[in-house]
Parts: sequence; C-alpha cells; structure tokens
Amino acid sequence: MSTNPWVWIQAFLTLALFSIIFVDNGFYKFAEHAYVGLYAGYTVVVTWFSYIRPSSQWIFRDHKYHYIIPIIIGLLIYTRYIKGWAWVSRYNMAFMVGVGAGFVLARDFKSLLLDQVRATFKPLFVSGSLLTTINNIVLVVGVVSVMWYFLFTVEKKGTAGTISSIGRVVMMVAFGSAFGNTVMARVSLFLGRLQFLLGDWLKLIQ
Amino acid sequence: MLSKIGNVDRRIIYVLLCAVIAIALIKPVGLAIKVSAETKKVYDAIDRLPPGSIVWLGFEFDAGGIPELMPAARAIIRHGFQKDIRFVCGGMWTMAGDMATMAFDAVKKDFPDKQYGVDWVNIGYRPGNTIWLDQMIKDAAAASAGVDSYGNPLADLPLMQEFTGIKDAKMMIIFVTGTPGTPEYIKTVSTPYGIPLAVSTISVEVPGTMPYINSGQVLGGVLGMKGAAEYEVLVNKPGSAVAGMDAQSFAHALIILFIILGNIGYILEKKNSVAK
Repeated sequence: MSTNPWVWIQAFLTLALFSIIFVDNGFYKFAEHAYVGLYAGYTVVVTWFSYIRPSSQWIFRDHKYHYIIPIIIGLLIYTRYIKGWAWVSRYNMAFMVGVGAGFVLARDFKSLLLDQVRATFKPLFVSGSLLTTINNIVLVVGVVSVMWYFLFTVEKKGTAGTISSIGRVVMMVAFGSAFGNTVMARVSLFLGRLQFLLGDWLKLIQ
Repeated sequence: MLSKIGNVDRRIIYVLLCAVIAIALIKPVGLAIKVSAETKKVYDAIDRLPPGSIVWLGFEFDAGGIPELMPAARAIIRHGFQKDIRFVCGGMWTMAGDMATMAFDAVKKDFPDKQYGVDWVNIGYRPGNTIWLDQMIKDAAAASAGVDSYGNPLADLPLMQEFTGIKDAKMMIIFVTGTPGTPEYIKTVSTPYGIPLAVSTISVEVPGTMPYINSGQVLGGVLGMKGAAEYEVLVNKPGSAVAGMDAQSFAHALIILFIILGNIGYILEKKNSVAK
C-alpha cells in the first residue's frame, strides 16, 4: 500500500465519487463540490499567471496603453448588472458576435463544408480493389440517403420512402458506432481509476 | 423472471464490471494488439520527419482525458525524442500546461540528454480559442504574452529562436477530448496553411474524427486507449494503455453480454404480454 498521503487523498476522493453508484451520500457530495470548487479556482489561477499578469506588463512596463481598449470592451459585459446601464453590455456582445461570425464565415466554409463534400466524390468502381469499391459505394449511398432523409419537402413514398429508410438505417449504424465508442471511453475512464487504485494506491499491479 | 433479465440492477453491473477489470489488470492474459492503419499513419509521418524538425503538440484535454490520451502523448513524445524531433506544445484547454508537463516528465527520465528550452517548450494554456490559435500561427510570442507555462520569457529559450509560430512546425499532433479540438485546428491552421495534422482522441470523439481522416484533412489518428496501446507497441515501450487492453476487452465482452440479455428479456417480456 502507498505511504504517500496525496495518493490516499486521491484514493479517498475516487472512492467517494464512485459511491454514488450505490447510494447518494455525504462523501460523494463533498468530493463533487470539492472538484467543482477546485477546478474553478484552478482556472482563475492559471489564467492569471499564464495570461493576465504577463499581458498587463505590456501595458504598464512597455507603455502600450492602447491595449486598455479591449479590456474596457470586455469589462462592459458587467454593466448588465447595473440598472439603466445594461444596454452598454450589448456593445461587448456585438463585438464578439461580429468577430465570431466573420471568423466562422472565413474559415468554416471551405474546411468544414467544401472539403467534406469533396471527400464524398468517390469512384463507385475501383479496379483491383473490391474492398475500396464496397467502401466507396457504402459512403456515397450513405451520404445521399441520409441527406434525402432530411429533405422534408418531398413525400416519402415508394422509391423516395425506400431511400429515406436506407438513410434511417445508416444513421442507426452511426448511432450504434457512437454508442460503442462512448462505452469504450467510459470503460477507459473507469479502467484508469482502477489502475490508480490497484497500482498507485494498493500496489497490487506494477 | 423475464423482467429480471431485462432489468438487472445497475449496481450489479457496476460490481461485475469492476471485478472483471480488476481481475484482468491483476492477472492479464496478454491478448494480441494489432496496429491499425490510422495509428501506423501517424507513426510513419513522425518517422519520416528529418531530425531536428519542430512538431507542435496541442494538449487539448483536461484530467478526464488522462487514461486515454496520456499514454498516447507519452508514446508519441518518446518516438519523437528517439528521432531527435523537437516539440513546442500548448493548448486552448485550461489544463494544457499541466498535461504537457505530466507527459514530458514521464518521458524525459529516459532521455537525459534532452533539455527543456532546447528540445521542447511548454507554452501551456492560453485563453481565446481559435482567435489565439490564429495568432499562434504567425506570432507565438505575442499570442503567449511572451512567456511559457512556467513564466520563463520565450525570448530566453533557444528553441523559440527557430519557432516564431506554428507555421514553423513541420507537423501538428493534437490530443483532444472535445471542443475546442480537431475542427478548430483544421479550419484555422491545417487547411489555410497546409500543415499536416495528426489527431489523438478519446473514444467518444472517434466517430466525429473519422470523416476528417477519410477526407485526408487529418493524416492519421491514435484513436482511444486502443490507439495508444498500438503506439506503445510501435515504440516498443508497453505502458498503461497496453496493460489496460485486456481489461477493456473483457469489460466490453461483459457489456455485450448484458446488452444481449437485456434484448432477450425485452423480447420475451413483449411476447409474454402479447400472449396474455
């Protein structure tokens, strides 16, 4: 067993959080609140030391006083708590929405839409590779049928209904894949904690 | 009886899952680990880099991603150091700096000749998401307020004389658990500037990452703990991911068993109610 008190604290908090599986209890609540509080405090401290403090040196040490302008714009968000001045916080929001929208329009369209659409333009027959041929057909049929499923202006009867049904099946397969991966991730998290408990704490594994 | 098959108490499932994982960890059977094409692509891409190349590592995760991403990060850094690759790392997630420190601390003891500031630099967490990433491409010093994760001036670090921004990196490898993550790097850096991007991701993110790998926007992926285990095998240094593969396989088998039992219970119960 470990003699390191920090390992014991980690083990206690881990077991306290797992205890919710059996019954809601005070240990769980303590660990949960401690985590939320610590993470909030951690974020403030890291942001202060890694960005706010060194950035402020530009203003006061290097006399770049124009950097105060974005700080003022940022602080405007808090005017929403002052009656009669709440409207001023909209300038902050307008600034962020404007920058965000411009950034998204400039960057997202090609990389996240055009390039993805282009990646679905596949040859339906690849000589010498049956597997690639099947993959490409599945990909093209899958993309077209799922998009067809979300075409709500066409009545889904006959052939239209069949294509829509194929789209539904494709989505079910995708949801199944997503669920399987989610299970795998959760098991990995659990496994990580058990590796800690059995290894670092109890020393049952190397 | 039928309803019991379909409605097993979750506490029983958890206890069985815990027992199966614990037994597999204490007494591993050593199931074979086959390296996937996605992992091999990342390995080959790093292998092809000339010695001295600078690679950007994006630590876009926090403590929740440690079991799956930390083994991958350690294995990739190990591979890089073996090839004399140098790293600059940072991230948009609050714990980026500490995650990078953990990863490098675990590997550096096996490479005593590697020095901080010369072979790797940890810029750490910086706020601003894609706006910060955009600035990091051309001017790392300005984007990082001129200091690294430990408060050292970047100008004093020899590696930063050669790395003025991510544009100087031969490749990017990011470790991601969510947003900001892969799409942010694709749209901000790899697509506009053509810098190759490899991704190490937690299992939940795999379905969302595969379209980018298929389209070629991401060159390869170390996917989940399985991918990390594969990379540990490739660098010939089995670690926590390899150790966890048996446990994960048995845990999955147990979950599949419960899914089958649940479905059998559901079908039998439905038949029973129709018969009544």
